[in-house]
Amino acid sequence: MSAKWLIAAILFPVAAGALVPVFGIKKRMTVRLYTGAATVLTSVFVWVLIFAASEEGCTLIEFTHNFTFLLRFDGLGRFFAVIIATLWPLTVLYGFEYLKDDPRQHVFFAFFLLSYGATLGVAMSGDLFTLYCFYELLTLSTAPLVMHTDTDAAVRAARTYFTVSIGGAAVALLPVLYLTTGAAGRYSETVTRIFYVLGFFGFGVKAAVFPLHRWLPKASVAPTPVTALLHAVAVVKSGVFAIIRLTWWCFGTAPLAGTFAQYIPMVFVLLTIFYGSAKAVRETHWKRRLAYSTVSNLSYILFGVMLMTEQGLRAGLLHMLFHAEIKILAFFAAGAVLHVTGREYIQDLDGLGKRMPVTCACFTIAALALTGIPPFCGFISKWNLLSAGAEAGTPAGYIGAGMIILSALLTAVYMFTTVRRMYFPGAREDDTALQKVHEAGALMWVPMVLLAAACLLTGLFSGRILELIGKAVSGLVPWM
Amino acid sequence: MLLILILLPLLVSAGGWYLGKRSPRGYYDLALLCTILEFILSVSLCFFRAGDVALPGILDLGIHLTLDGFRQVYIVVISFMWMMTMLLTRDYMGIRHGTHTHTQRYFFFTLLTLSATMGVFLSADLFTTLVFFEVMSFASFPWVIQEETDGAIRAANTYLAIAVIGGLAALMGLFLLYHELGTLEIGLLYERAAACGKKNLLYTAGGCILLGFGAKAGMFPVHIWLPKAHPVAPAPASALLSGVLTKSGIFGVLVLSCQLFRDDPVWGMLILSLGTVTMFLGAVLALFSNNLKKTLACSSMSQIGFILTGIGTMGLLGRENALAGAGVLLHMVNHSLFKLVLFMCAGVVFMNTEALELNRIRGFGRKKPLLHACFLLGAAGIGGIPGLSGYISKTLLHEGIVEAAAEYGLILHAAEWIFLLSGGLTLAYMTKLYVCLFIEKGAFEEKKRYMELPSCVALLCSALLIPVCGLFPHAVMDRIAAAGSGFLAAEPLKEAVSYFSLENLKSALISVLAGAFVYLVIVRRWMYQKNRYLDRWPAEMDLEDRIYRPVLLTVLPEVFGRIAALFGENRVTAKLAYGLYRTGEILGHALSDMTDGLVWVLQRTVFRPDKRNYEERSSHTYVYQIGMSIDRYREKHGRSGPEELSFARLFERIRMSLEHATHNLTDTMSFALLMLCIAICAVMVYIFLIRN
Repeated sequence: MSAKWLIAAILFPVAAGALVPVFGIKKRMTVRLYTGAATVLTSVFVWVLIFAASEEGCTLIEFTHNFTFLLRFDGLGRFFAVIIATLWPLTVLYGFEYLKDDPRQHVFFAFFLLSYGATLGVAMSGDLFTLYCFYELLTLSTAPLVMHTDTDAAVRAARTYFTVSIGGAAVALLPVLYLTTGAAGRYSETVTRIFYVLGFFGFGVKAAVFPLHRWLPKASVAPTPVTALLHAVAVVKSGVFAIIRLTWWCFGTAPLAGTFAQYIPMVFVLLTIFYGSAKAVRETHWKRRLAYSTVSNLSYILFGVMLMTEQGLRAGLLHMLFHAEIKILAFFAAGAVLHVTGREYIQDLDGLGKRMPVTCACFTIAALALTGIPPFCGFISKWNLLSAGAEAGTPAGYIGAGMIILSALLTAVYMFTTVRRMYFPGAREDDTALQKVHEAGALMWVPMVLLAAACLLTGLFSGRILELIGKAVSGLVPWM
Repeated sequence: MLLILILLPLLVSAGGWYLGKRSPRGYYDLALLCTILEFILSVSLCFFRAGDVALPGILDLGIHLTLDGFRQVYIVVISFMWMMTMLLTRDYMGIRHGTHTHTQRYFFFTLLTLSATMGVFLSADLFTTLVFFEVMSFASFPWVIQEETDGAIRAANTYLAIAVIGGLAALMGLFLLYHELGTLEIGLLYERAAACGKKNLLYTAGGCILLGFGAKAGMFPVHIWLPKAHPVAPAPASALLSGVLTKSGIFGVLVLSCQLFRDDPVWGMLILSLGTVTMFLGAVLALFSNNLKKTLACSSMSQIGFILTGIGTMGLLGRENALAGAGVLLHMVNHSLFKLVLFMCAGVVFMNTEALELNRIRGFGRKKPLLHACFLLGAAGIGGIPGLSGYISKTLLHEGIVEAAAEYGLILHAAEWIFLLSGGLTLAYMTKLYVCLFIEKGAFEEKKRYMELPSCVALLCSALLIPVCGLFPHAVMDRIAAAGSGFLAAEPLKEAVSYFSLENLKSALISVLAGAFVYLVIVRRWMYQKNRYLDRWPAEMDLEDRIYRPVLLTVLPEVFGRIAALFGENRVTAKLAYGLYRTGEILGHALSDMTDGLVWVLQRTVFRPDKRNYEERSSHTYVYQIGMSIDRYREKHGRSGPEELSFARLFERIRMSLEHATHNLTDTMSFALLMLCIAICAVMVYIFLIRN
């Protein structure tokens, strides 16, 4: 298939989202049918493209000879698109149930479709400038989702999200211009490295690198489909994706490895790994705890990337995939409990295991997988990250491996204290309050069960997945 | 074939889940059938050759299973124990009388643990071992917490913490090892390690792995979960925890000691010293305990110490380790068997009396010949009385130490004496239990039946194996030892050991005398006063409460807390941290702040909003004038309407809304333009400044 079809894949959900107010869709059933059909069609189309699209680029607009709007669907983009195209329909399904009684759900789903298109754009963009544009579009299309509930906290969260994202993007613009204007060749390597570090922290805002992470826990006030899909997968991983592109495709690892351009980001990444987990342990709000856990886990991926070895990149990408399914599952479970019981603090979860068996079982699987207990998938990616760290042979690699182990210990603490409360509340059990609690609706638990099965199966067959990832990143064509 | 051993219980456990909801009885029958099938299968494997099973690509590194003599012995032991405890479970959990709680959960996780344990013992590489080991750790967690009492929850927390920390330590060690040796195949470890130059890294990796597996085995100083978790679990589960799960830890230690660090005296000495401490400490704790299952649990720890001591001597002895090697394997098998019998007896006691504290169960066993006989066999067996199987393995272990003592001198002599003394202590605490249960008079009225037929069968079958093995050591024990020699890298026994020679009987006699002395002096004089057993458990010396919990729960959070406080959670540092954070934030979005600032400055200076009154101003705009003229024209032609229809007002209103919209638009546009300008400025700056 010609690369021109990529435009269609991006424009279709965007147009579908934009047309919601035009058609005046408001009834619950119509919204469901419309959104569901649009999402599934897009996903099917993307899957077709993943298998059939050509590797050729497709230039849409040429501003100057090196300032173009270019789409290209290469191995890494396909890998990211696989994650998105699979998880988006599941989340929409879950969202139908979650926003069942929301009078403004048509607005919500319109923006949800819009951000689908933007994320696909990030995956399919073929040069840094295009990537940057879609990256900004993603910020704009997801901010209304954050403030959907329209409470004070939500508005504050959206403000933080906006300022930090736009500020980050402004910093990230510098290396974009530096590279696209073709200035890179003319300066000393030190200048190039400085611009790389700027780019890392610019895109690092979305990847929630330590001093810039604050928007993520705050944004957990958003409706759960948003926190689950956007703030554990699409948005944050776009940040990571952009950093991968910047490191491996644009600057190339050769001038960066072994210099301050590697070490400065690495220090912050390692700090984030520890900081996120430590904060998660201290946090008692369930969704915020998971958000802090995301902060930590995103830096696992970045750790792999910043090792600047191919093994590290592969391990990082593997964790990107696995963390996506695990964290979305954990958020779904938390959201299901919130939806059914309205409980959002860990200490209110006592004895829930009996009342919501499927949800709690799914969360337990997420906990096992996130901690890295075999045979679930988190174990494999952790193993790969550790070996990549040791293989790199640098002090940073070993320290990072130690950090991951330490963080895994903390992960066990913050995940299993939750699980234990669900199943073994001890003497404090208050059964009367739980009498009316029932299992979440089928639209909620079906995606959860599918994801839980995925956590197991992708772990078991990870050999094949690693092979595919290896194929996706081998022989990468530099962008600049 | 080997895969069936693992998959059968796994599938049954999953398949039975829904059955268990409706009919616990049905699930029980299914589980029992499954364990019986498992037993038949593992015994039949003695007669068929089962090839290796390799599943490359599964879990990335692949799963590799194999079967050799040692593994064969152990899978038979495992499946036997599961079958026997399952028989007792019917009685213990009250399946027959419908007094069960959470049986669905119990059976599910029991079968899952069986599957994982099989996996551990069949694994051919350490990666596979680790995978199944972790599954086993987590699958056995519900056993500990089954009763859901406060004690159980506390013990379960400890258990989980140790499982997680141990698992992570093992993971850390394994990836270091993998990185260094390039393989985790158990059979290749020795050659690769010999070729590897970085001995220190190997020791680090080995230490991490030892911590992981040693924790499960109950080795000092990570034994803390063991005396807590075993007593609170249901008795059939305690038997398995004690008899099998600790051995899976030993399996890991064996891989390290007999493959990776084969013939390494440094490593041997480390294991030996840890083993000696574990052996003695466990025995002392068992003596102090006032609770039937706690005594048995501490006894497990002590016996694990015996096994570790044996492993240590193997390392010290190098090539001439036939006796120690045989002793290790035989003591493992024996200990599994003893603990099976003893914990099942404890289970029978508990299900009749609902108590485990010695003063409350005193005299329970009187006039119950079957229970009496079984307990006696188990207790005497573990105490190493000649004629029973425990004597054989202890003799071999002792011989091993004596051999090593000829080479290493003083330290090993000390070890020998501790060994004999621990043997004596074993006898003493077993006598204490025995006398309490079966000799002293208690307040128990005669019941007609105290256990069902399946439980009787289970007890009797397990207990009778002890004298059978003990009386025909060459027929049974030597064969088992020979089967295991390959895995343990031990020489096969050259000539039949004369177990009942005077020399060997003498060391047993020393132990017996020491035991008698300890029992008569310490137990009867110090622990037994005013007709009651006193609780001499050294609770205030608990390693967990004294060191681990304070360190983990107070010191570390304190450190973390201080670190976290740096980020603005402490009043003193809050200001500083806020300043730091702001600096980071400003660095992060300096440009957007800058544009905001520019807009602000411009608003305050050039584009200062007009303060004049709206009405006054509006009357001077063009549209207002046009509207007025239209109004005037209409007035002239006598078509004037009411005030609200004045065109001047209408035009003004339209102008207002347009202005409002354009105002917003220009705001946004100006913001974007400013951003662009600053970006261009930045580009200019580096073109002009940095370029040169």
